[in-house]
Parts: sequence; C-alpha cells; structure tokens
Amino acid sequence: MNTLDEQLRELIPRMRRFALSLTRNSSSADDLVQASLERALSSWAGKRAEGDVRAWLFSILYRQFLDAHRRSRRYARMLEFFTGRDDAEPSTERTVIAQSTLQAFDRLPTEQRALLLMVSVEGLTYKEVADILDVPTGTVMSRLSRARQALRQLSDGEISSPSLRILK
Amino acid sequence: MISMPPSERDLHAYVDHQLSEADRRVLDAWLANHPDAAAQVRAWQQDAQQLRAALGGALQQPANPELDPALIRQRLKRQSHRRLASAAVLLIAVGIGGFSGWQAREMTLVRSSVLPMTDALQAYRLIAQQGILPADYKVDTDGDMQRWLDRYFTQASRLPDLKSAGFEPVSGRLLSTDEGPAAMVMYEDRSGHKVSFYVRPPGPKNTFLPRGSRSDGDLQADYWSGGGYNYAMVSPVDTPAAPMLKQSLPF
Repeated sequence: MNTLDEQLRELIPRMRRFALSLTRNSSSADDLVQASLERALSSWAGKRAEGDVRAWLFSILYRQFLDAHRRSRRYARMLEFFTGRDDAEPSTERTVIAQSTLQAFDRLPTEQRALLLMVSVEGLTYKEVADILDVPTGTVMSRLSRARQALRQLSDGEISSPSLRILK
Repeated sequence: MISMPPSERDLHAYVDHQLSEADRRVLDAWLANHPDAAAQVRAWQQDAQQLRAALGGALQQPANPELDPALIRQRLKRQSHRRLASAAVLLIAVGIGGFSGWQAREMTLVRSSVLPMTDALQAYRLIAQQGILPADYKVDTDGDMQRWLDRYFTQASRLPDLKSAGFEPVSGRLLSTDEGPAAMVMYEDRSGHKVSFYVRPPGPKNTFLPRGSRSDGDLQADYWSGGGYNYAMVSPVDTPAAPMLKQSLPF
C-alpha cells in the first residue's frame, strides 16, 4: 500500500498543475486535487490500475472538475467563486503568468487547456486522452488541431476574444 | 503506415511523438521538401515547448500537507468508522426500541390503545426522568441540533425555537418504535427543567393527528402532524414555563 502512496506523492505536483490549469485558482485547484485523491484512494482496492496511474488520476480529476463545474453552474455566483468567471482576467494568484504563451493558454476554453496540457505537456497518448475525455480518438485529434490553432493565433498576438472566433 | 501526402492529423501525431519510428522517418523526409508544412510543424513544436516551459513553474508549488495520501487515507478511515458508528447507534436504538416498545405495549394493554403519541411520553420517561437511555448526541454549538435531526428526518419541520421560554436544545436520541424510527430532542432551561420534541413517521396505518394535547400522569403532551411526520412536545405538567412553551409551539 505504501508503494501506492509513493506513486501518488510523486504525481501530486502534476495533479495540482492539471487542476490549476482547469480552475485557474490555486485554492480551488487544491480542493479539486484533494477530492480526487480521496476518490482515488477509496476506489483503489476495487480497481488495480491496469494502465498508467497518471492517466487514471487525471481522468478522476477531470471528472471531479466537470461534476463540480456542473454543480456550481446551477449557482452562477458559486461559479465565479469556484473557477473565476470563464472569460475573466487570470486571478491575481497566478503570478506565474509572465510569458505570452501562458497568457494565450489561459485564454483558451477549459477543454482546450485540458487537452493541450495532457498532450503537449504531460505527453499522454491520444488513446489515454480519449479515455479521460470520454470521446473517440478521432475527436481528440480534431479538437487538438483546433486547440493548437487557437493557441497559435492567440500567442501570435491576434488577440481576439475566443468566443468571437468561428471554430469549425 | 501513414499515406502521402500526410494529413494534418499525421502532422500533429508527429509533433506529439505518437508515430511509429518508420512513419516518423518517412515524414522527416517529406517535411524536408515541404517548407510550409515544416514551418507549421515547427511552430506547433515551439508552442508545445513554450507551454512546457511556462507550466513548469506550476510543478514547483510548495507542498500542501493537506494533500498527503497517508493523511487522506486516515481521514477516509475515520469517516467510514464514523459511518459504522452511526450504524451501530441505529442498531442499539432498535434493540432498546424493542424494550421501550414492550413497555409501551404494557401501557396500551392497560388503557384501551390508540392514545396518541404514547411513545413520545414513554421516551420522555425513559430518557428525561429515569435516565435509562443516554443521549446519542449532545449539542456543541447553536444549529448543531438541527443538523443532527436533518440527518435522519430530512423533511421534518424545523425544531421549535423555545428560547423565549428559556429552553435550548441540549441532546438528541434515536429510538425505534412500532411506528418507525423516532428522534427525541431534549431541551433544558437554566434550572434544569426538561421538555422534549419528538418526531416519527405516522406509522403503518398512516395515522396523522389533528392538533391536540393530553396529559398522562405528571406529563403533558402536545401533538400535531406535518410534512409527513407526527410530532409531540412533552413537558411536566407543573413546568412553570408551560404557558410560554405553548406559545412557542410551531402552530
């Protein structure tokens, strides 16, 4: 059992980074990580991870995020509290934001952020990402293409509000 | 194998190192002759590279001790113990319920049944007067009692506010009765007088009660129905605050 704890400890910084990229707020990010770890630890006995532990944890975290997001959407004010408004400027806690890439990244919709983080930063396979997002691999690839394009345009300085761009 | 010319997906897969070694070499060769596509691929690679660098900092956050797996494991264990403990309380309540139900039955044999909320009076005697049953739950802060009750009786009416009569909720007890699970909340005033609020389902015959009151020996019961439950307030007949209490009842 302690080897699992060791594995988890090693992966916690990555979970926190993923959570931060989803919530854009470090305290909600840690709440999200904590809830995900609880879920992971209580379902571990039933599910011996046959695949990558990291992908498994990411998928728990993503699902927890969506659940919380959905729940909080019912309370518009809660949403502001939980994630910050979706098109809001990055919260002051995100002092890390200096580079234009990161600024551009932060302006992307949640799902594109999750996708780029998992593929480009974490290097998960398309198949793993497809499982996490619960969509076919082909969908992952077309969404990835759109996400890359959006990131490219935003970091090229074509600062247009993402909601105004027509995405196929 | 990828086919030539490569699709955009192939180019992404190339950027993400998700092509086989053979495909990769084929694409390397193709890109060497197609500068536009090569520039596009380089731009994506650069973005990915910059993103990795930019997000690298987020891996260096100071550790948050709340997230330690061992701690979380402990917390989960405590939670499940607490759940087991409350299950045990229910079992005990069922056991004792048999006993108090039996006492109640004795009473109903003597008097011709159907006196409403006899079990509420019986519970008061067992808990408040004879001290036979300890409380399951004691109040720490204001509002806890309501939360405790809400765990078991989700739609029950709010606990009556008896502050004006000088009474505050102090403890709670779960019981089992012939009519179903019941809860009794004990109120006390400064001089130790006790009154109880009692709630349970209407029972298998769905006996809802018109508002009423009756006395039984040294005790007085006010009873009513609402929100799918039956309620009773039980107090000693000689409670000095009786008129005040009566005013505080939620009807």
